[in-house]
Amino acid sequence: MQQEAMVRDDPPGKTTAQFRQGSALRQLWETNLEVFQRDKMALFGLCIFAVFALVALLAPILAPNDPLTPLKNANGDWIKDALPYWLAEPGEDEAEGYTNEFLLGTTNIGRDIFSQLIHGSRSALLVGFSAAAAVAVIGTVVGLLAGYYGGWVDTVLMRAADVAFGIPFIPFIIVIAAFFDPSIWNVVLAMAVLLWRDTGRVIRSQVLVIKEQAFVSAARVSGASNLRIIFVYIAPSILPLSFLYGSFAIAWAILTEASVSFLGFSDPNTISWGFMLQDAFLSLALTRGAFYWIIPPGLCIMLTVMAGFFIGRGYEEVLFPRLRRM
Amino acid sequence: MSILSIRDLKVDYATQEGTVQAVDGVSLDVDEGQQLGLIGESGCGKTTLLKAIVQVLPRNGRITAGKIMFNGIDMLQLSKTEMRQLRWREIATIPQASMDSLNPVQRVGSQLMKLLRVRGGYDKRAARRRAADLFDLVGLDTERLMHYPHEFSGGMKQRAVIAMALALEPSLLIADEPVTALDVIVQHQILEVLRELEQELNLTVMLITHDISVVAQVCDSVAVMYAGRIVEQAAAEPFFHAPAHPYSLGLQQAFPNLARPRDELVSIEGYPPDLREPPSGCRFAERCPFVQDSCHDIDPRLELVGDNRLAACLRSGEMETLRSQAEDPALWQQVEVAQEPILPPPKSPSITTRGDLGAPPLATASVETPPSPSQWGGVDDDILLEMRDVSKRFKIGGGLAGLLRGDHEQTVYAVNNISFTLRRGESLGLAGESGCGKSTTGKLLVKLLDASDGEILFDGADLAHLEQDDLLNFRRRSQLMFQNPFEALNPRFTLYRSLTEPLIIHGWKDEQQRLGRVIETLDRVNLRPAEVFLDKYPHQLSGGQLQRVVLARALVLHPDFLVADEPVSMLDVSVRAGILNTTRRLARELGLATVYISHDLSLLQYTCDRIAIMYLGEIVEIGPSSGVINNPQHPYTQALIAAVPVPDPTIENPPLRIQEGIPRPTEQFIGCPFAQRCPDVMEACLDIRPPAITDEYSHMAQCHLYGDHRDSPKLKRGAEVTSGNTR
Repeated sequence: MQQEAMVRDDPPGKTTAQFRQGSALRQLWETNLEVFQRDKMALFGLCIFAVFALVALLAPILAPNDPLTPLKNANGDWIKDALPYWLAEPGEDEAEGYTNEFLLGTTNIGRDIFSQLIHGSRSALLVGFSAAAAVAVIGTVVGLLAGYYGGWVDTVLMRAADVAFGIPFIPFIIVIAAFFDPSIWNVVLAMAVLLWRDTGRVIRSQVLVIKEQAFVSAARVSGASNLRIIFVYIAPSILPLSFLYGSFAIAWAILTEASVSFLGFSDPNTISWGFMLQDAFLSLALTRGAFYWIIPPGLCIMLTVMAGFFIGRGYEEVLFPRLRRM
Repeated sequence: MSILSIRDLKVDYATQEGTVQAVDGVSLDVDEGQQLGLIGESGCGKTTLLKAIVQVLPRNGRITAGKIMFNGIDMLQLSKTEMRQLRWREIATIPQASMDSLNPVQRVGSQLMKLLRVRGGYDKRAARRRAADLFDLVGLDTERLMHYPHEFSGGMKQRAVIAMALALEPSLLIADEPVTALDVIVQHQILEVLRELEQELNLTVMLITHDISVVAQVCDSVAVMYAGRIVEQAAAEPFFHAPAHPYSLGLQQAFPNLARPRDELVSIEGYPPDLREPPSGCRFAERCPFVQDSCHDIDPRLELVGDNRLAACLRSGEMETLRSQAEDPALWQQVEVAQEPILPPPKSPSITTRGDLGAPPLATASVETPPSPSQWGGVDDDILLEMRDVSKRFKIGGGLAGLLRGDHEQTVYAVNNISFTLRRGESLGLAGESGCGKSTTGKLLVKLLDASDGEILFDGADLAHLEQDDLLNFRRRSQLMFQNPFEALNPRFTLYRSLTEPLIIHGWKDEQQRLGRVIETLDRVNLRPAEVFLDKYPHQLSGGQLQRVVLARALVLHPDFLVADEPVSMLDVSVRAGILNTTRRLARELGLATVYISHDLSLLQYTCDRIAIMYLGEIVEIGPSSGVINNPQHPYTQALIAAVPVPDPTIENPPLRIQEGIPRPTEQFIGCPFAQRCPDVMEACLDIRPPAITDEYSHMAQCHLYGDHRDSPKLKRGAEVTSGNTR
């Protein structure tokens, strides 16, 4: 019950006209902006994503070779296990019949590792963003419906969430991969089918809180329809939460894709970082000390996953400022 | 001799927006055996003063000057350890909302005994004996020592907290809002306990409250705080009969008083000054109706103005005359006019005649025109709303989870068979203890809930069967005003957005027309100039302003019917009257039928034509306000009225004849639901439903005392009453 002496002033730089148009969407935009203005880590995460997105977009231009085609030397032999040019002894490559231009060397069947790395960003981001979008959208809709309508809608959706919680994730993907052809989309499908459960639960609980607030009753009393209440009054308050879960899902999806590829259930014709790791593992790159084959994809996975978590943390700080003190 | 003596105390809070002088040069003496009431609106520094005395200021708070002497010891010179020794043993405090601070996983008795043993040096047996004595002292059954806090009612917890505060026989007890947020009956009993303790133990008490009637009941002297300073200090009787400071005058006139009903309450317009840069002259000058030029320049000192009376006012010499003028609420209204900038001409006609109400802008005529009563199939033109045998039941503890946990499904009978009618333009008050079903009734009236049984007829149409356009039309005509203005507005919407939403929903397509209506409505609720408020967000406004916005949103559609659920209980005293006056005036101007829901009977008497008293979901008495208040028939009503504290120390409340504790609403009664607590209970009450007896003024009471069974043998309260009359 703080008494304010007077009406507080507007934040500077915002004119009256802008505010009057100020819709919920605009506020949402401002929340997002706030996340990245306040939290430099989140901004860093965003930059990582931006760089990878650029790389993925320009992959055919950036990659010096086709990632899947084994390269041959002048004699028509495959250039197997070439060292990066910065590791190779002078003259060694010429003896093998090619000029070394491989930044990260080649694989045991003569594919260019650097090109693979660049093309790997495509599948990583594709899987990451589509899985995140699926998880966020499905989870948000489920949470909104279950929380707002309650009753049997809530019961059905939340029991479905319980079932989803009960299914082990990686084995589920393996089963899916057995049913369909191996593809990176299996991961997206599995995440969409299973991982909305966390987002849905959290958003439902938030909706339960918001819908009991007096301003929602007020909207109902003035005749607002259910859909209007859900989308105009409730959704804008929980959307930052969906973004939070979405950004975690990006990281999670990339990690999952890597694990699944590493286990050997990915499409051999799509290059991903996980696939590269598996390839390296199977061809005993580790024992040969080919760190240039293993570390770069590992580093890329780590960077993108970190970026997702940094952004997620940024949202958390803005959404739940109390966490900061702990 | 004075126990506590404060000299020129100054307390600062460092905030991001600058230094706030929360307490600015307070001098105060509390004598042994004195009961001092410290009053003032929120933010005036009362609680800060308390925290400074016991030195538990928040981290950003700092005592910058002054002295606090306790029994001759300079408290500000004490070390932390010495101070800790002093607290509780010498100075006991009951902080705000302390009844929620009992440890929920420990028996109340063990908490009390732990305190006695650790702080008081009692051994186990002595502690047990002392704990039992203390419970006895505050009127709690000693068996209760073995109970956990959740087994206590609110009043019992408050008693336990008082017992804990008194455990170590402190020489000074400081209580911060000890009865706020308690039901009237409980409040009355706690005040009684305090009064008894004062007499028995010759306690020295400092009581902090915003409610002057509480002070009138338990204190023998009063200090009034305003904007970090004491503006008046006096003995209780002269203070209540002749306040010597304009602010005290305003506070006194702002309270509805059952004993002396008024036509219009005084509302102290405006807000306390910004304590980051307090004004150089008198701090109350901005809001004072008696202000003269010198007030803005000269800072009045607290001076003797009579027998043992201190006041800080330049015009204290003329108080006699000012007091008689202060009775007139219009005088206090002038302040507002003088203070506020001149009004721009309203963009749309701000005065609407009765016939215009709800008349839509031309563009949306088809959507907005309400059907005439005959189209609605109305029976009586005059009656707007009728409740016919309405009940509402809730089921709890059922479902799959309940089944697994082994809970039985229980039915809560929130509202039982209530019937009443409401005429156009009439105002009805619903009163009762918390849990009596008054808020549920309010929600039923605006169709936030649907009735389980019975019919609610609005203009002759049953709310249960409204569909589509009829429902939308009903939504336009009936509105709700909420208790907590801080929650009632969407924090993400500007005020304009919040106010224009109902118009958008009801098909007002033209932005200019919407803007016109919004401005007109803001203007009506005295938020002027309206344009200033359009682009504000709720967090930028004070509670009083927000509640006006909530009222504006309710009125923006020009409804016929308004339910106000505890409209001012979250607000400060000085702004309460303003909200009530505005609501009442607009209801009259607009011909609005209003249902006020409140636990505060004096407020209802002030605002309502009729009052209904609810108990366990039933209306036990209903009638014209004056009848219900001055000539209550039902024993429950009599008890409720007796429990309301009167802001006059010479009027002592009669002892209450009933105890706290509403039975669980999961039981259905064969006889009278009130029988368990009724002081006049008779045999017939246990198994025969009391009849509704109505006199010639339509004053109805549902009680056997006035029916055919009036000669039924009386029962002693006790075992025979508490068992047996539930179904």
